[in-house]
Amino acid sequence: MKRSDLTEFEIEEQGFKLKICRGPDGVPAVSGGQMPIHTPPHMVVEAPRPAVAAAQDTLPAATLTAVSTAPDEPGVSYIKSPMVGTFYRSASPESPPFVEIGAKIEEKTVICIIEAMKIMNEIQAETKGSVLEVLVENGQPVEYGQRLYKIKVG
Amino acid sequence: MFEAKVGGFVIFYLSMIQKILIANRGEIALRIVRACRELGIKTLAVYSEADVQSLHVQLADEAICIGGPKSSDSYLRADRIISAAEIADVDAIHPGYGFLSENAKFAEQCESCNIKFIGPKSKSIKIMGDKAIAKDTVRKAAVPIVPGSDGPVETEAEAIKAARKIGYPVIIKAVAGGGGRGMRIAHNDISFAKEFHVARNEAEKAFGNGAVYLEKYIEKPRHIEFQILADSHGKVLHLGERDCSVQRRHQKLIEESPSPFLTADLRKRMGKAAVRAAEAAEYENAGTIEFLVDAKGNFYFIEMNTRIQVEHPVTEEVTGIDLIKQQIRITNGEKLDFDQGDIKFEKHAIECRINAEDPARNFAPSPGTIGLYYSPGGHGVRLDSHVYGGYTIPPYYDSMIGKLICFGSTRKVALERAYRALSEYIIRGIKTTIPLHKAIMSDPTFIEGKATTAYMDDFLSRTPPDLFS
Repeated sequence: MKRSDLTEFEIEEQGFKLKICRGPDGVPAVSGGQMPIHTPPHMVVEAPRPAVAAAQDTLPAATLTAVSTAPDEPGVSYIKSPMVGTFYRSASPESPPFVEIGAKIEEKTVICIIEAMKIMNEIQAETKGSVLEVLVENGQPVEYGQRLYKIKVG
Repeated sequence: MFEAKVGGFVIFYLSMIQKILIANRGEIALRIVRACRELGIKTLAVYSEADVQSLHVQLADEAICIGGPKSSDSYLRADRIISAAEIADVDAIHPGYGFLSENAKFAEQCESCNIKFIGPKSKSIKIMGDKAIAKDTVRKAAVPIVPGSDGPVETEAEAIKAARKIGYPVIIKAVAGGGGRGMRIAHNDISFAKEFHVARNEAEKAFGNGAVYLEKYIEKPRHIEFQILADSHGKVLHLGERDCSVQRRHQKLIEESPSPFLTADLRKRMGKAAVRAAEAAEYENAGTIEFLVDAKGNFYFIEMNTRIQVEHPVTEEVTGIDLIKQQIRITNGEKLDFDQGDIKFEKHAIECRINAEDPARNFAPSPGTIGLYYSPGGHGVRLDSHVYGGYTIPPYYDSMIGKLICFGSTRKVALERAYRALSEYIIRGIKTTIPLHKAIMSDPTFIEGKATTAYMDDFLSRTPPDLFS
């Protein structure tokens, strides 16, 4: 409740750009007597201004669909980014992606690369299951805790 | 900076800062967002998962999550912060205070990644970060330091000779010690001999190392610090002092300017010494020189804080100079456009640090969710705070939730205004130090300007705890 008041305040009073970017877990609002522990601040991606188009590109414009207040489904988990950097689906532009939708994965399966400060870090799945969905795009900047893959557990 | 030839004229383009990453949280992060807004600079907030609801994260232009709730997993992660700076293409990083603000390595990493660090050069951080090197550096600039034995004293004979040279009273400290342990005070030759041996034995037992050194013991000193502003063109100025003597366990509670203790002459001499100290460290940007001042007006350098400080608003309200904006301008390569003589000290300002702590329960931290919240206002009242009604204070960080700065034409006006503002200030749902500050504003010793660093212990010992509920 309070958070949406704040957001409204922003829109009305500031009238300016707000940005949506994907936050960590889409934790649903806690009901029943407590102040809600909120879903992370999905800030609105602003209408891009031509002069800063390049800057805009670096933030996940495609995440408008991902205002994920939906509760976690049973048997489903998410692989989240353990670092801040740029997400790559394959080892190089010419290589095939590490995993596709439907791929079976184990704990040690490398599922992507996240580049941080010129170092390519191979990210392991750390879970067993199969890939249901790829939630980020190749070359997209990602933040800590950002959901990368939706996994069917087991 | 590069030059371009256009139609026979040479034009210099400064690489102006257009986007700043704020590597901090809470009220200082909000402060930086505000300054950037006024300068038309875009802001990127990096935040931990515990700070998702933080006000500055909501108000910044962009935000990137850099880790879990613990500082060691987020705000201290230089790698993630620089990574965020790169993917968001920022020009500069403001480190705030605490966290990485005095981490020379972080400043160096920024420098090598071509990101401007809003603060001094890493070499100045290194010089002033080492207490021994700092003292030696400023001593050479004719800045008084706390007299000491320059290293351990081995024998009683050597020690007594050093003690006499320093002048009693002296404090005998364990080389391997810390946290106030292994320290003994001697007031004359006779007691010194005894205390020296006791100190050595205690040090040996407590730390496995009996080596001790000596320092002059300054009784009930005042903590008086000077604000420095230096540009990258060699100009170093001071913006007056702040008296921060009201401390509990070495944590400042109240800061004010001007100091009720300093005479005009002492202020002038200390101001000049502060500038010399900053120049000796080749300082740029904002910093603070800390002194201890004894009852006779002798002052001694203790350390330099190579960052913007919590209590910077006190100086801002006295001088009218926006320190955060100046920090950004200095980093932009701009010259300070005023001189020492242009700085006017027009007001008296006093800051109360509002902490989410319960004074009645020995200042136990009181995190939780704020209910009803009404903040004070009116003429001469400034509140720097990131909290709001409905906000949940996370338990992972320090307990300061805001700074109330009241100012006026005289100290009397400032104190009375502070009392008035504190009386209006309502924060329900958590315990705060608001009642403590009100009690101090009404205390004769404080009102008379007599508080030294011994004040808080004395005040608490004579104040019934239920005064704070």
